[in-house]
Amino acid sequence: MFHWLEKNPFLFAVGVFVVIAFAGLIEILPNFAEASRPVKGLKPYTVLELAGKEVYKKDNCIACHSQLIRPFKAETDRYGRYSLSGEYAYDRPFLWGSKRTGPDLHRVGNYRTPEWHANHMWDPKSVVPASIMPAYKHQFTNIADIATAYAEAVTVKKVFHTPYGDDIQPGKAAYEKYYKEKVLPEALKIAKAMKNKDVLDMVKQGKVPEIVALIAYLERLK
Amino acid sequence: MQSSAALEYDYSVAKLYMWTTVIFGIVGMTIGVLIASQLAWPELNYLFGEYGTFSRLRPLHTNVVIYGFTVSGIMATFYYAAQRVLKVSLAELPFFNFLAKLDFVAYLFAAAAMVVSELMGITASKEYAQMEWPLDVAIVVYWVIWGIVMFGMIGARREKALYISMWYYIATFLGVAMLYVFNNMEVPTIFFSGGVGAWYHSVSMYAGTNDALVQWWWGHNAVAFVFTVPIIAMIYYFLPKESGQAVYSYKLSLLSFWGLMFVYLWAGGHHLLWSTVPDWMQTMGSVFSVVLILPSWGSAINMLLTMKGEWNQLTENPLIKFMILASTFYMLSTLEGPIQSVKSVNAIAHFTDWIPGHVHDGVLGWVAFMIFAAIMHMSTRVFKREIYSKSLLEAQFWIQTIGVVLYFTSMWIAGITQGMMWRAVDEYGNLMYSFIDTVSVLHPYYAIRAIGGLLYLIGMFMFAYNFIMTATAGRKLEQEPQFRSPMA
Amino acid sequence: MSSFVVKGLVLAGVLIVATLVVVKQMHIDLSDPVNMITFLGAIAIAVLSFGVAAKYMGQMKTDTATGELAEENWDGIGEYKNELPAGWAYSFLGTIIWAAWYWLAGYPLNAYSRIGEYNQEVKQYQQKFQEKWKNPSPETLKEMGESIFLVQCAPCHGETGDGLSGKAQDFTHRMSKEQVLAVLKGGQHQLKYPLGAMPPGLAQGKAAEEVAEYVANGLKGKAPAAWATCAGCHGQDGKGNGGSAPNLAEYDETLVQHVLKNGKTGIIGTMPSFVNRFTPVQEKALAAYLKTLKQ
Ligand code: HEC
Ligand code: HEC
Ligand code: HEC
Ligand code: HEM
Ligand code: HEM
Ligand SMILES: [Ca+2]
Ligand SMILES: [Ca+2]
Ligand SMILES: [Cu+2]
Repeated sequence: MFHWLEKNPFLFAVGVFVVIAFAGLIEILPNFAEASRPVKGLKPYTVLELAGKEVYKKDNCIACHSQLIRPFKAETDRYGRYSLSGEYAYDRPFLWGSKRTGPDLHRVGNYRTPEWHANHMWDPKSVVPASIMPAYKHQFTNIADIATAYAEAVTVKKVFHTPYGDDIQPGKAAYEKYYKEKVLPEALKIAKAMKNKDVLDMVKQGKVPEIVALIAYLERLK
Repeated sequence: MQSSAALEYDYSVAKLYMWTTVIFGIVGMTIGVLIASQLAWPELNYLFGEYGTFSRLRPLHTNVVIYGFTVSGIMATFYYAAQRVLKVSLAELPFFNFLAKLDFVAYLFAAAAMVVSELMGITASKEYAQMEWPLDVAIVVYWVIWGIVMFGMIGARREKALYISMWYYIATFLGVAMLYVFNNMEVPTIFFSGGVGAWYHSVSMYAGTNDALVQWWWGHNAVAFVFTVPIIAMIYYFLPKESGQAVYSYKLSLLSFWGLMFVYLWAGGHHLLWSTVPDWMQTMGSVFSVVLILPSWGSAINMLLTMKGEWNQLTENPLIKFMILASTFYMLSTLEGPIQSVKSVNAIAHFTDWIPGHVHDGVLGWVAFMIFAAIMHMSTRVFKREIYSKSLLEAQFWIQTIGVVLYFTSMWIAGITQGMMWRAVDEYGNLMYSFIDTVSVLHPYYAIRAIGGLLYLIGMFMFAYNFIMTATAGRKLEQEPQFRSPMA
Repeated sequence: MSSFVVKGLVLAGVLIVATLVVVKQMHIDLSDPVNMITFLGAIAIAVLSFGVAAKYMGQMKTDTATGELAEENWDGIGEYKNELPAGWAYSFLGTIIWAAWYWLAGYPLNAYSRIGEYNQEVKQYQQKFQEKWKNPSPETLKEMGESIFLVQCAPCHGETGDGLSGKAQDFTHRMSKEQVLAVLKGGQHQLKYPLGAMPPGLAQGKAAEEVAEYVANGLKGKAPAAWATCAGCHGQDGKGNGGSAPNLAEYDETLVQHVLKNGKTGIIGTMPSFVNRFTPVQEKALAAYLKTLKQ
C-alpha cells in the first residue's frame, strides 16, 4: 500500500516535515505585524520596571499568576478592563501565564499600592490571612540586577526600535550615569511609598533591593 | 526471520539512558510531591530559603520530568528498539556509536546546567522553554547529533521498510527540532549592551501576542512531540513485543500516524482561547483539537485490539497491565483535551486545576506508565537477567494507579469548582466569591492530590529498587526471551 | 453490555456525581450556559473514555485475534492487514466533514467577535440586575455592599473592615485623632468636594488637639470652641453640610463616592482610586455596608 514511502526514509522525513511545518506557517505568520502595534500612549518599561520584570521572571510568579483579563463580565468586574493586544507590545517575553493559583495581575497597579505590596511580599498572611502564596523575604535583601535590565533596554532599543530616549546607550559609563540620574530617584520614590526603613536606607546608599524593582513593575501593570 | 539472533546489539547507550530515566524520575517526582504539598501546606515553602519556594521549584519539576525523565526514557527506548527494528547493531557503526556516547555526555552536562540555572532563577520564564540561550545552543547541538545518529542507523539498516515506531521517532526528531529553534529565537543582550549586564541574558525576538502564539505553537507541540509521538513509538514496539501479538491493523497505524502529524500542529491555539489572538486562530485551535480525537484514539484502539483475546496476559503479566492502562489514560487525556478546547468549556477550565489534572492524566497514566513498562522489558534483554520481582511490579502498578486516580479526580473537581466559583454572581449580580474564597475551598483537593502524588512516588521508588536489583541481582538468563519478559 | 462497560460507566458516574455535589455546595448556577456546557463536556469525557476503553477491554476477554498477516516482520513483530474499525473510521470522517463545514459555513468568519459577545453579556446582565435593583431597600444595599467589600476591599481593609491593624482605614471608627491632626496641619486636597481644598493650619496647638479629639470621639459631647471654624464647611453636626465637604461623623455615600473616584493618600497610606469600577448602585451599597461596621 503505502510501503514505498516507508522504504524511503529520506522522502518519508521530508513528508513529515512538510506536513508539520505547513500548519505552523499558516498559524503564526498572518498575525505578526498586526499584534505588535502598541496601543496609543503605551510607554516602554523603564529600566527599573524592567529590572522588576526580571525579578518577576526569576522568582517565577508566572507559576501562579496570569496577566490576561479575558472578556467575561466576571473577569472585568474582578480585575478591570479586558486586556488588549496592543498593551503587550513591549512584553518580551509575554507573561500571560497558564494557571491562576493566585489572581490575575494585569491591572494590579490600579488597585494595590507599594505599601500593600511591601506587606504582602514580606508576609502574604499579614494582609490575606488565608493566603497560600509564599513569602518572598529574600527580595528585601537581594540586590536587583539593574545592569542586565539596562542591557535589555539598550538591546530592544537597537534591535526592535523600542522608543527609549538618547540616554539609553551602550557601555558602562552611560549605564552608570543613567543609574544615578534615572534609576535611583525612581527607586527612592517607591522605597518611600513602601514605608520600610531598611529598604529605604539601602536605596539611600545607592543600592536597589529586588523588592523595589518588583514593586515598580507591579505598579506599572495598569 | 530469526537472523536477529546472529546480530549482537550494542546496548551501552541505551543502558546509560535507562539509569538516567530512573534517577530523573525520582528527582522530578519528589519535587512534584513537594510542590503539590506546598499548595496544601504553604509552610513547606520555606525549607530551602529562596530556592525552595513553589514558584522556583515548579519549573524545576516540569523540566526534570520532561527533559530528564521523559527524554531519557525516549532515548533509552530509541537506542534499544531502533537497532532491533532496523536490524542494525551500533557495534557495526563505531562512528555513530561514538557520537551517541558523546551525545550522552553532552546530555548530562546540559541537564546539570538546566537544574542549576533553574534553581538560580536564570530563566526566560516561558513554560517548557525556560532555558537561556547558551543552554539552547547546547540543546540544539545535542538534538542534531541525535538526528545524525538516527539517520546513520537508518542508512545502514537491513530491514527495508521502516517499522511504525521508527516513523514516530523520526517525527519526534523533526518536530522538536523545528519548534524548539523557532520558539527560542532570542537576542542575547550582551552583544549590544557594550559589556553591561549578565552574559547569559536574552530578549525574545517576539513580543506580546506574537510571542504567545509562537510559545504555544511550541508548548502544545512539545506535548505532541515529547509526551505523545515518542511514547506511541514505544507502545508500538513494546506492547506487541512483550505480548507476542501482531499489530492489529496496518491501515489504522498509517491513518493514525499521518492524521496525527497533520492535525496536531494546528491545535496549538487552544492554549490561547479568549486571549488577544485573533478569533479565527482561536477557533482553528478548537476545531482541529476536536478532529484530533480520532487520530489519537486510533493508536490507542490499535493497541487495545492487538491484545484482543489475550485477557490472560493482562491478568498475568504486570508489564501488559502497565501498557494497557497507559493506552486507556492516553484515550482519557486525548478526549479530555479536545473537550477543554471547546471555547465555553475552556472559559471555565483555563487557568484552573483542571488543566494540571488533564496534564497528569497524560503524564502519569500514559507517559510514565509506558516508560516503566519499556524499561522493565528492556532490562531483561540488556542485562540478560530476569526481572527481580514480579510481585513488587504488581504492587507498584496498583499503588500508582490509585495515585493517578486520586490525582485526576481531585484536580478535576477542584478545577471545575474553582472555575465556576470565579464566575458565580450572587442574587444581586455581584461577584459571589473573593479570590481567596476560591483558594481556600481547594485545600482538601490539594491535600488529596499530594497524597496521590506521594503514592505515585512510592511506586517510583519501588520501581527504582526493582530496576537496580534486576540489573545487579536478577537471575541470569541463558538466552534472550523472544516475547514475554521473564520475572521472578 | 459486558460487565466491563458497566463498571466503566459506574466509575464515570461516581466522578460526575461527586463533582456535582461539590459544585452544588458552592451555590453554582448550573443553568448558566457556560457552566452547563462545561458540565456536559465533563460527562462526555468520563462516559466516553471509560465506556469505550471498557468496550475494548471486553474484547480481550471474548474475541480472538484473526486476520491476514503482512509479509513484513520486525524483530518478531508482525502486522495484520485488518480493515479499520468502522466506528473509528466513520467518526474520523465525520469530524473532518464537520470541520470543513464549520470553516466554510458554520463559523461566522467575519461576523463573530469576542468583544461583541462581551458587550452582549454586559447588556444582558444589566437587563437582569440593574432593573431588578433600581430601588433597593437598605437591607438589600447592605448585603450587596458586603459582597462587593469582601471581593474588592477586604485585602486592605480586612474582612471585618478593621483596617488590618493600621494598614488601612479602620471602618469601625470614622477617623483617628492622628488623622485629623495631620489634615489640620497639612490641609488636604484630594477628594474633590465642591468646597475644594481644606487649607492647612485652620486650628493649631491646643485648639487643634481639642477639635481632633472631638472628631475622633464621634462628635459626642460639647464641641470645643475651635469647632466653629470647622462647622462652617463641615456643618454643625459634622455631616458635611449637604455634601460640600466630607462627612466627619460617619461614612456616607458622598464620601465613599469621592474616595472611590479620587483615591486618597493620608498618614495611614494610599487608598487607590476605583474610578469606573462600580455602578452608582454598587457605590451606594458600599456606603451602606461601611455604615454598619461602626462600633
Ligand atoms: C503558590 C502560588 C503563588 C506564587 C508562587 C505567587 N503568588 Fe501571588 N498570590 C497567590 C495567591 C493564592 C494570592 C491571593 C491571596 C493573596 O492575596 O495573598 C496571591 C496574590 C498576589 C497579589 C495580590 C493581587 C490581588 O489582586 O490581590 C500580588 C500582587 C501577588 N500575588 C504577586 C506575586 C508575585 C510578584 C509573585 C512572585 C514573586 C507571586 N505573587 C507568587 C499565590 C501565589
Ligand atoms: C474651607 C472649608 C473647610 C473648613 C473651614 C474646614 N474643612 Fe475640613 N475639609 C474641607 C474640604 C473641602 C475637605 C476635603 C479635602 C479633599 O478634597 O481631600 C476637608 C477634609 C477634611 C478632613 C479629611 C476627611 C477625609 O475623609 O479625608 C478632615 C479630618 C477635616 N477636613 C477636618 C476639619 C476640621 C477639624 C476643621 C476645623 C478645624 C476643618 N476640617 C475645617 C473643607 C474645610
Ligand atoms: C490597596 C489598598 C486598599 C484597597 C484595595 C481599598 N482601600 Fe480604602 N483605604 C486604603 C488606605 C491605606 C486608606 C487610608 C488612607 C489614609 O491614610 O487616610 C483607605 C481609606 C479608605 C476610606 C476612608 C477615606 C477617608 O478619607 O476617610 C474609605 C471610605 C475607603 N478606604 C473605602 C474603600 C472601599 C469601599 C474599598 C473597596 C472598593 C477600598 N477602600 C479599597 C487602602 C485601600
Ligand atoms: C509524583 C508525581 C507527580 C506529582 C505529585 C506532580 C505534581 C505537580 C504539581 C503540583 C504541579 C503544579 C500544578 C499547579 O501549578 O497547580 C505539576 C505540574 C506539572 N507536572 Fe507534575 N507531578 C508529578 C509527576 C509528573 C510527571 C511524571 C510528569 C511528566 C512526565 C509531570 C509533568 C508536569 C507538567 C508538564 C506540569 C505543568 C502543568 C501545567 O503547567 O499545566 N509531572 N506537577
Ligand atoms: C487530542 C489531544 C489533546 C488536546 C486537544 C489537548 C488539549 C489541551 C488543552 C485545551 C489544554 C489547556 C489549555 C489551557 O486552557 O490552559 C491542554 C493543556 C495541556 N495538555 Fe493537553 N490535550 C491533548 C492531549 C494531551 C496529552 C496526551 C498530554 C500529555 C501526555 C497533554 C498534555 C498537556 C499539558 C502538559 C498541558 C498544559 C499546558 C500548560 O502548561 O498550560 N495533552 N491540552
Ligand atoms: Ca501551564
Ligand atoms: Ca530559550
Ligand atoms: Cu495543547
